[in-house]
Amino acid sequence: MDNNYQLTKEFIKRPDTGEISEISSLLEENSLTFDDDIEETLLIKIDSIPAATGSISGNVLKCIAVKNEFKNRNLTGHLLTDLVNREYQKGNTDLFLFTKPDNRTIFSQLGFFPVYEIKDNVILMENNPSGLDTYIEKLKKESEKYSGIKGKRSSIVVNCNPVTNGHLYLIEKAASESDLLHLFVVSEDRSVFPFETRYRLVREATEHIKNLVLHTGSYYIISNSTFPSYFIKDSKKIVTLHAQLDLGIFSERIAPALGITERVAGDEPLCPVTSNYNRMMNEILPPRGINFRIIKRLESEGDVVSASRVRKLLIERDFKSIRRIVPSATYNFLTSEEGEKIIDILKKGKK
Amino acid sequence: MKIVKTGIAGTLESSDVMITVRSNSGKGIEIHLQSIVEKQFGKQIRLVVDSFLKTLSVDDAVVQINDRGALDCTIEARLAAALYRGADRTDYDWEKI
Repeated sequence: MDNNYQLTKEFIKRPDTGEISEISSLLEENSLTFDDDIEETLLIKIDSIPAATGSISGNVLKCIAVKNEFKNRNLTGHLLTDLVNREYQKGNTDLFLFTKPDNRTIFSQLGFFPVYEIKDNVILMENNPSGLDTYIEKLKKESEKYSGIKGKRSSIVVNCNPVTNGHLYLIEKAASESDLLHLFVVSEDRSVFPFETRYRLVREATEHIKNLVLHTGSYYIISNSTFPSYFIKDSKKIVTLHAQLDLGIFSERIAPALGITERVAGDEPLCPVTSNYNRMMNEILPPRGINFRIIKRLESEGDVVSASRVRKLLIERDFKSIRRIVPSATYNFLTSEEGEKIIDILKKGKK
Repeated sequence: MKIVKTGIAGTLESSDVMITVRSNSGKGIEIHLQSIVEKQFGKQIRLVVDSFLKTLSVDDAVVQINDRGALDCTIEARLAAALYRGADRTDYDWEKI
């Protein structure tokens, strides 16, 4: 083998059309496609020939491929070193990647550990050898002061973008029908309202519920925006695999650790993605010992109370209508200076 | 030396090692070793890491070592860099390291 080759590496933030075609053709060779939520892409060239590529999106490494003729030169090692270092520079130290189970060994040798695998389809790996265990320990600690409460432990996962009376109705009802309610707020920061805000408003709005323990969703409550679509062609299959992965971790690791035996969700007449997810929960959870229950959503003036309705009213600046469907914590936030900033973002997004 | 955040040093290239240290307050030292020469040198690598952690008085840390055949001196250098980064310190004790 000729060892006198020249290797160049470059991080690309906004690839031009030439670079996109170079990256895409590398990916296509490995039956991958270029995802649209990518922040930066690393392209390695050998003697000016595109040889390997990898990208980052939040704390997820994705779209990793090495050209066939350049395999066995540890280019994956090169890629991972630079991608991991880039993430650390950005302050992301807990990293994840989704890949095909066949690649498990390659990434294991490069410092990634399996979190959960769906046979023949997808494996989630993380760079922290005990990431999930540490999260579960944290959940147990948060629940410690409720350990005296015996009986039924239920759970809800919410995004609350932002929290409305609809959410509150669901949470109050589930709490009143169980002995302890574990409430998880999705921490993935891909919503208009940043996680810190969503979490704070939920905490304020639920303070009066005594048998409720609040948790951050962490990376292990996987939102569908994180789940990659790039190596699974069939869009129906993406939904199924995402649900299997997310609910697999929830029902096999998180729920048993906390003694959770029920999961509750609001019915979903509007959003097809969420209603599909509810159907998946109904299929996946009960066989694993977790009862699944749908609660009918709160309606007002002939329409369900939802966060998307609040966002729509915000753009119209209809604070009078908003006041009727959100708790005071949310209303106070929306009418504050910080709230104005969110309205600006929403308005820009609408254009 | 107290590890307060995640520190990383090194690369995954041949003859190098990538070391990540994480805080583990009050729970002692936890070492995760992965090496292409683990069968031959696994024991030696652990010895080097253990004694270096003692030299720098690190009591609590999760140390993740991804070795691609690095020499002992490389392992020590990478470990020192990762530990100082994890401790958020730059007052290197050159006599010890």
